[in-house]
Amino acid sequence: MRYWQDIETGETFNTPRLTVTKEDILEFAAEFDPQPYHLDTDAASASIFGGLCASGWQVTALMTRLLSETMQENNIATLGAAGVRKLRWKIPVFAGDELSATLEVTGSGPSQNPGMGELECHVVLSNQHSNPVIWTNITLLVQLRENQENTDEAPHGHE
Amino acid sequence: MRHLMVTSDVYIRSRWFEDIPVGEFHVFGSHTFSELEIVEFGKTYSPYVFHTDPVGALDTPHRGLVASGWHLTAMWMKMMVLYMERFADGVRDGRRNGAGMGIEELVWLRPVRPGHTITFTYDIIDKPDRIVRDRWGIIRSRNEAFNQYNELVMTFTIDILAERNPALLPQPAGSRG
Repeated sequence: MRYWQDIETGETFNTPRLTVTKEDILEFAAEFDPQPYHLDTDAASASIFGGLCASGWQVTALMTRLLSETMQENNIATLGAAGVRKLRWKIPVFAGDELSATLEVTGSGPSQNPGMGELECHVVLSNQHSNPVIWTNITLLVQLRENQENTDEAPHGHE
Repeated sequence: MRHLMVTSDVYIRSRWFEDIPVGEFHVFGSHTFSELEIVEFGKTYSPYVFHTDPVGALDTPHRGLVASGWHLTAMWMKMMVLYMERFADGVRDGRRNGAGMGIEELVWLRPVRPGHTITFTYDIIDKPDRIVRDRWGIIRSRNEAFNQYNELVMTFTIDILAERNPALLPQPAGSRG
């Protein structure tokens, strides 16, 4: 397992691709973002986006899925995100689009959370045409190495 | 049935960019997060143990199941849409709905756990002087989310497009090329 101390500024990670289906878009929209341009093809073509597209919050969530899977596959002790300094939705995501992300570690620092450190990361989520969909600077939380023993002992403390 | 088509009189209740004042403050929604929905969102979008496994999460530094931060932002959106639908009937039509451009300074300050009730507020803080794609203006809002102890759990600033009043837009000198 690689902990916060083990990650170098400049390290880069590339995620695999995932395909966004129309069903994915409709399902998320029905639950979280029931606006016509995410739910109805006709209404969407008359909207600012010009067609049925995924909620921007679904796109950030899909970016998170790609990143969380990739970081875990690389054995990095990731503990989620602390925040987002800046994020831009550049272009819409339409049904059938394929998304993948690159993450570059740009900085490193302490965290308010016990046992965790922060990594500043620049992430670009792109579609199958290599056009940026999301451009963001995000702060990830990574477990500190010296916390590992405490964490391993925690279950015994509960017993 | 073309229920999404609305007549123009419905728009009377919608507001143009020009009608939305800086300083307007709304408490626009509240939601109690269940263990089931936290786990479902986590499995789909953020498959970490501390988002998907209530028992396994105890052995992580998070010390128990926590909602994904992106689950909070998704719920923010849901609360906002439901609120806006009550505020302005034109939201259901969609032609006048703006799009989010971007966010700044998003911070997740405290964990949201099963059973926590989160209340969302927004404060219109700025209307940058720009015209986007000929007919949209930018509404900048500061958004905060509080738990049932009135502790701040999330805050961010977002720019959202709102349609400008066509009567107040500069008229082009000739036909657009």
